[in-house]
Amino acid sequence: MTGHGIDAAAATGIPPADVPEAGLPGLAQRVLTPVNTAMAILSAIALLAAACVLTWEVVGRYFLAIPSDWQDELSAILLIAATFTSAGWIQARRGHVAIDALSHVLPVSIDRIRRRLADLCAFAFCAYFAFKSFQLFREAWEEGQTTPSAWGSPLWIPYGCMAFGMALLALQQCAQLLGARRRA
Amino acid sequence: MSTLQIGLLYGGATLAALFSGIPIAFALGGVATVFMMLFMPAASVDTITENVYEELASITLLTIPLFILKGAAIGKSRAGKDLYAALHTWLHRVPGGLGVAVVLACGLFAAMAGSSPATCSAIGSSGIPEMRRRGYSPGFAAGLIAAGGTLGILLPPSIVLILYAVRAEQSLGRLFLAGIGPGILLVLLFSAYAMLHWGTEYRRALASGQDSPILTVEHFTLREKFSALPRVAPFLVLLTGVMVALYSGIATPGETAGLGAVMALLLIGLVYGAFTLKDQIPIFAGTLGESGMLLMIIGMSLLYSYVMSYLHISQGAAGWIVSLHLSRWLLLTAILLLVVVLGFFLPPVSIILMTAPIILPPLRDAGFDLIWFGVVMVVVMEMGLIHPPVGLNIFVLNRVSPDIGLGAIIWGTLPFVGLMALAVVILSLVPQIALWLPNLVYG
Repeated sequence: MTGHGIDAAAATGIPPADVPEAGLPGLAQRVLTPVNTAMAILSAIALLAAACVLTWEVVGRYFLAIPSDWQDELSAILLIAATFTSAGWIQARRGHVAIDALSHVLPVSIDRIRRRLADLCAFAFCAYFAFKSFQLFREAWEEGQTTPSAWGSPLWIPYGCMAFGMALLALQQCAQLLGARRRA
Repeated sequence: MSTLQIGLLYGGATLAALFSGIPIAFALGGVATVFMMLFMPAASVDTITENVYEELASITLLTIPLFILKGAAIGKSRAGKDLYAALHTWLHRVPGGLGVAVVLACGLFAAMAGSSPATCSAIGSSGIPEMRRRGYSPGFAAGLIAAGGTLGILLPPSIVLILYAVRAEQSLGRLFLAGIGPGILLVLLFSAYAMLHWGTEYRRALASGQDSPILTVEHFTLREKFSALPRVAPFLVLLTGVMVALYSGIATPGETAGLGAVMALLLIGLVYGAFTLKDQIPIFAGTLGESGMLLMIIGMSLLYSYVMSYLHISQGAAGWIVSLHLSRWLLLTAILLLVVVLGFFLPPVSIILMTAPIILPPLRDAGFDLIWFGVVMVVVMEMGLIHPPVGLNIFVLNRVSPDIGLGAIIWGTLPFVGLMALAVVILSLVPQIALWLPNLVYG
């Protein structure tokens, strides 16, 4: 197993692993890498901003008697956005943990097929999820949906981040799949 | 198809998807989606993304990235090394004092950083070479750190307890407090073992008649004893300050997480000068990698258990367990054994999210306190972090001290697996160890 989940240091600051370099997948990767990096930077800023908003919430309420109405919701949006938009960057580092117990048991050639099939299934699910998220985003945009709270923030923002992040993740998986095919 | 058949198919498909090597998050999400398509109304598939979003958009769950950020900030600083060095100067007169200092440092650091691997690498990177230099056997030194590191998922702010609170619909404040007593119990058990084992190694060295570093008597001046305190004290103030803010009602759990992260970043800047981009990049990269991966697993696990509940699989399985009419303790033993087995291949987050709907109703029916059970379950999952084949801490330590060897580390950790099992027995006999503090604070 690449990690044990709860606090696996799976993707801690390590450089990209298993990304294509040559041919069309390599070209796609050269476009994806800067996008992934930009999203990771924005996600880091969103994380810090969420921490600051929550700190402001407690300081404002306790010391300045300012009511807290929008801070929790804004932090939730920031953290959801950070989670989804950095998913492709994590995938480029193979940071989404998997059980790879079979790789120690199977012969190399069969294990290669298993890895490719696993990558294909993961890609199929993420691409489908991205497509469904995009539908949700479009609905929220067209209907002007908002959260039920007093603040009523527009729902297309978190849905849009989810759709964009999952699409980026699926594209990253696709590039890795095609890159692996070239190498095989 | 009957519920039983669908349930068996669901379980089988999950195992196949997980062992095929599909990342855990996508394996769970994929299986749930396929079963939605096959066995649920067509329109329900349209709600998968909304489902995941609504489950994730809870401020309690979203404290997780912020607690990880706080842990990463403290973990990447020299705070761990300073903490252990300070404790060592104060405890050197105690037999096996270095080992006890390591266990205490692990406990305190785990409570500040909230992460098992971060504790292992922060205390282990300096603690293991120091213990070996003083004549401790390598396996014993590694075992102490690996076991001490597991306290990260038990002591507040434990991410595993946050998830349990959400799934079991229990008070997070109570659960955090309930983790402290068992945490102290484990620290005491580990320290007692450290002293006993040190005694054995000491007597062996004495009997051999050769000069061994373990026989050396150390002395620290008062100046040395106080020198590390100014660097360590602010972090201890942060640890207690954040907890006081939470329990006095000044801050909600979400605000505590935000405040803790901001304060930790400020403190490492002020104490260690870690303000530059070069210092901050590994902290944020580590946080993003870990929290993104975790939240994705959490979101998809929630979708997975939603499908399980919609198809009545969880209710059916829970009903079946109840219908067995097992005695209270047999039921508890069977459930904890299941958790141990799942711990062989699944991370604690997934174990909690996937099993909670099945195991909690029978436990509630049998009259178990779910706050107490949450803590006991976490202690059992702590064992999974240090027992083979996939104990994460074992691999972290193998990376920190590769020359010890995986075999020696595993042998070194095994006595601690036994001590944790002993702790589970003690907690079962004396549940007040966990429940006393939350009952005192919340009544």
